[in-house]
Amino acid sequence: MAQNHHHGANPYVIWVWLVVLLAAGFIAFAFHLSTMAAVLILFSLAIVKAGLVVRHYMHMYDQPVALYAIAGIPVLLMIFMVVSLLPDIAFHSIPPVPAAEAPPH
Amino acid sequence: MSMQAHAESPAHHFDHPEPTTFLRKYVFSVDHKVIGKQYLGIGVFMAVAGGLMAYLIRWQLAWPETPVPGFGWVPEPYMYEGAIPPEFYNSMVTMHGTIMVFFAAMPILLGAFGNFLLPIMVGAPDMAFPRLNMMSVWTLGVASLVLIASFFMPGGAAAHGWTGYAPLSAKAAYTGVDWGGTLWILALALEFASFLMGGVNFLVTAINMRAPGMSLMRLPLLVWMQLTAAVLFMLSVGPLVAAAIMLLLDRTLGTGFFLPERGGDPLLWQHLFWFFGHPEVYVILLPGFGIVMEILPVFARKPIFGYRSIVWSTIAAGALSFIVWAHHMFVSGIDARLATPFSITTILISVPFAIIMFAMIATLWGGSIVLTTPMLFALGVIATFLIGGVTGIFLGSAAVDIYLHDTYFVLAHFHYTLFPSVILAGLGGLYFWWPKMTGRMLNETLGKIHFWLTFIAFNCVFLPLFLVGVGGHHRRIYDPYQYDFLKPFQPVHEFATMAAIVLILSQLLLLVNVVMSLMSGEKAPANPWGANTLEWQTDSPPPHGNFKTVPTVYRDPYDYSVPGAALDFLPQTHP
Amino acid sequence: MTTEHSMTAPRELGKLPFGRAGIWWFLASEIMTFGGLLGAYTLQRISHGGWHAEMQHLNAYIAALNTLFLVTSSLTIVLAHQATERGDRVRARNMLWVTVALGIVFLCNKGVEYSIEFDHGYFPWTSTFWSFYFTMTGLHALHVAGGVVWNTCLAIAASRAIWPKVSHRVEYAGLYWHFVDVVWIFLFPLLYLS
Repeated sequence: MAQNHHHGANPYVIWVWLVVLLAAGFIAFAFHLSTMAAVLILFSLAIVKAGLVVRHYMHMYDQPVALYAIAGIPVLLMIFMVVSLLPDIAFHSIPPVPAAEAPPH
Repeated sequence: MSMQAHAESPAHHFDHPEPTTFLRKYVFSVDHKVIGKQYLGIGVFMAVAGGLMAYLIRWQLAWPETPVPGFGWVPEPYMYEGAIPPEFYNSMVTMHGTIMVFFAAMPILLGAFGNFLLPIMVGAPDMAFPRLNMMSVWTLGVASLVLIASFFMPGGAAAHGWTGYAPLSAKAAYTGVDWGGTLWILALALEFASFLMGGVNFLVTAINMRAPGMSLMRLPLLVWMQLTAAVLFMLSVGPLVAAAIMLLLDRTLGTGFFLPERGGDPLLWQHLFWFFGHPEVYVILLPGFGIVMEILPVFARKPIFGYRSIVWSTIAAGALSFIVWAHHMFVSGIDARLATPFSITTILISVPFAIIMFAMIATLWGGSIVLTTPMLFALGVIATFLIGGVTGIFLGSAAVDIYLHDTYFVLAHFHYTLFPSVILAGLGGLYFWWPKMTGRMLNETLGKIHFWLTFIAFNCVFLPLFLVGVGGHHRRIYDPYQYDFLKPFQPVHEFATMAAIVLILSQLLLLVNVVMSLMSGEKAPANPWGANTLEWQTDSPPPHGNFKTVPTVYRDPYDYSVPGAALDFLPQTHP
Repeated sequence: MTTEHSMTAPRELGKLPFGRAGIWWFLASEIMTFGGLLGAYTLQRISHGGWHAEMQHLNAYIAALNTLFLVTSSLTIVLAHQATERGDRVRARNMLWVTVALGIVFLCNKGVEYSIEFDHGYFPWTSTFWSFYFTMTGLHALHVAGGVVWNTCLAIAASRAIWPKVSHRVEYAGLYWHFVDVVWIFLFPLLYLS
């Protein structure tokens, strides 16, 4: 089983990419971008870096489907949780309570 | 590489020889059957402790601030000549919930039944990681000790409710309990670690160690439900672990994660707690249902109705349980836009459970029902869970919940869901598998009396509490009768308390039965009930390694009364 | 037996080795734990208006250097795993020791960073930002320490007779170590850069 297990990309090449992306993120940081731009650029870079590590170093390019489910479902759950907490924790937008003295018709 | 492939074969993972010394055999055992019994011991011990706390709570509600019979020996400042002070009442409420959910229900249903049955049912010699299994039960033992130790700390045990709502739980000064609350967090953290180890074991065993021919759709339903429960636990507990770390730092280092005056957000704790808390309900419920699923076809002598739809309903219920948590928080000041989606998903989750309930009832339909003690308990689960499930639909809709929230209606509702799945199903499972665990039969007559007393007394305790709750009686009130409008409820509370005493005392029948069985019980044959699943196709109790030869599975787990067959059951190993 | 076996349904999912399935289930629960913490931080940060002033007091240079160490240690443990699969025991052992050393350097660096922050009067209880900062990096550092211990055990085992029985664990230690790396890949921009 493991003999015909092909090894994917050269780990040194992946490492070079990781370092290049790290440097790119740091350069973006040095430019003092606006918050929105910084978040977008830095997180795209982080996701690419994480993707490289997961795909090549953690061998996720070649695994049984079950393993993708084990790794992917928690990520989806986490995203769902954070998104549903946005209105409560991040934005605190409690709708105004209707005035008590306004009587119905 | 051949070396490596060998290292991962099941044979490698079952490399422990049969132990010979007492310590190796019964204390530091890696055998899943012994570990299951150890879990059962811890769970039953903690359940007795939790049950006695329920007795104290009930007494205080019926006859506030009067000496509790049998508790005069408890020293001050815990109790005053047997009477319960408010601080101790708060501790009792907190610890009853914590113990029953985390230290009784999970060890008994997942730890004991899961450990004992899951490997045998899939035809494996042991768990995938036997040493990890031993570590998990010992971690649970340490967790239980830490929790018990918290009672003896200055200030007593945690008193912030089993949900640990912040900011009440985030500062020692708010409840007057310092070390008790911190140890409570540590005990829970250890318990989580224990069941994470157990969960890894369950999943890998049930998926990778199945006997030849045991396809996923031939797994007994108990295995499916244990598996789903393990997945739910492993995927939901993370956020609570994060929150528990934050709470621990709030208490010890003086951070302010959940303290509004320090810029923290108490609502965050509730969200993270219930993100775990709701799947946790199904972590307890599903293994209980799994036990019922195993008992019903055996004593109805019929195949289970709709095996595949039960499996898919279980998975659907598990998936949905992750997106319903905010229904615990309708009155917590959550965003109104969240309330409606969470109402919808909550009511949606009743669909898979309705399918499971219908499948249970349809299994009984037209069957040759044998009313043995395990069957009575299984039927008791169906009858009582129905009430618990239906009242859950009321509470799921935000508009109704806002009125009923935190009243005795909610309390009665969740006792009607958890008591059947933990106590009734647990007892049913114990009567059903006791011959397999010990090699001795239990007394049927005593068992039936035990069932009827338990069943009737339970309903007498909690059915009236629905009415009390609709009447506006909030829970967690030390002395309800300080409010005039609650005074008329005192006779109801007195009735419920007397029923609770009967409920607790009737459990002594089980003790008598168990002692009699161990001393002089009839020897159990390998398959006393005429059942099909693999655990009944080996000796009672099963030998070290469970099976003399690896069983081969040829058929579904519930082939009862197959037309043309010589017997009314065809074991899974029958070609 | 073989004919009987072919009549029965095959075992699905059986291809996944035990240890790999187990470690991935463990990592799934870890994703939820770190996800909860990172999610809570992100949400609180939005509600507090970004915490830009507090972030000025963090040293992004030390953290960037630390990222480099951790990424490199991920490479070395991959090399250790490849060497193990080839049966090159000496190289596997050396690469494991390099991984251990890089992990220790990371932890020392983190300690230096903490002490600078303490010197400037920033403690976990100073404000919500600092609470999150110390909790998140502290939990991560504990995971690094755990990985260092595991890798050390394997590196020692590589010089002993037990090696053939435990060498397959290099893969699992590696999976865990990469996960710790991935957590840092997200912590770094979340705390220091954005």
